[in-house]
Amino acid sequence: MTKEELLPKLKAIIEPYVQNQDGLKKLNENTDFIKDLEINSANLVDVILDVEDEFGIEIDNEAMEKMLTVKASIEIIKAKLSEK
Amino acid sequence: MIGNDIVDLQLANKQSNWQRSGWLQKIFTVTEQKSILFSENPSQLVWRFWSMKEAAYKAHQSYIKHYPKYAPWDYECQPGGEVIVNNHLYDTQTEVTKEYVYSIAQRINTTNYCSTIFKKELDLKLQLKQILAQKLKVDISSVSIKKDTYQIPRLYINNKKEDIPISLTHHGKYSAFAVTL
Repeated sequence: MTKEELLPKLKAIIEPYVQNQDGLKKLNENTDFIKDLEINSANLVDVILDVEDEFGIEIDNEAMEKMLTVKASIEIIKAKLSEK
Repeated sequence: MIGNDIVDLQLANKQSNWQRSGWLQKIFTVTEQKSILFSENPSQLVWRFWSMKEAAYKAHQSYIKHYPKYAPWDYECQPGGEVIVNNHLYDTQTEVTKEYVYSIAQRINTTNYCSTIFKKELDLKLQLKQILAQKLKVDISSVSIKKDTYQIPRLYINNKKEDIPISLTHHGKYSAFAVTL
């Protein structure tokens, strides 16, 4: 899956947890989940679990540590998909 | 170094379903998970541990100066209230009410800190600036709070960075700050 294909899928996953809708409108690679979208830090776990369910991958601790931005998340999803 | 974290329990129970499959395992160590599951009030312990971890994270990040990182399992809550992360120990104090859970973490346990919880929506930074101006005997217009490159809030007086640890937290109806003085 390309970056362009992954982005809308990721957007749909994070949407229910976003508290700053302006940030969502401006969503791009550099968007930070906490700073720009004001996702509650406890909800980041839900984002990660939803990503695991959607793509059938496992996000280990090492990957989870970095999943704070759109860019990092896409890179992680791509890498985990290629390991499948 | 100091860190604080508040959880609005009503909102937390609406925003998060901690019983969701895999949820506890992503955040808590095996020992913490056991404590939660054997607890008489598991939901309260989930948020107690969570706020301890968050408060310790803020104190530790401010000490180590690293970019934001999402590694809640790295912060191990001890039965005595301490939190250990990579061999660094933080003392925490937690207040639990029916409405909220509030934790303060300190690298060295001192009593010379000041913290206030607000139970309504307000300008938290302004409240903190007022307290600091009063305690440090400076004009409020000279006090500013800016996030550094690591997203850690730092205190400036007359645009000069001060070595005074501060921490801010906000969730739902509640907000709070803690400052070492």
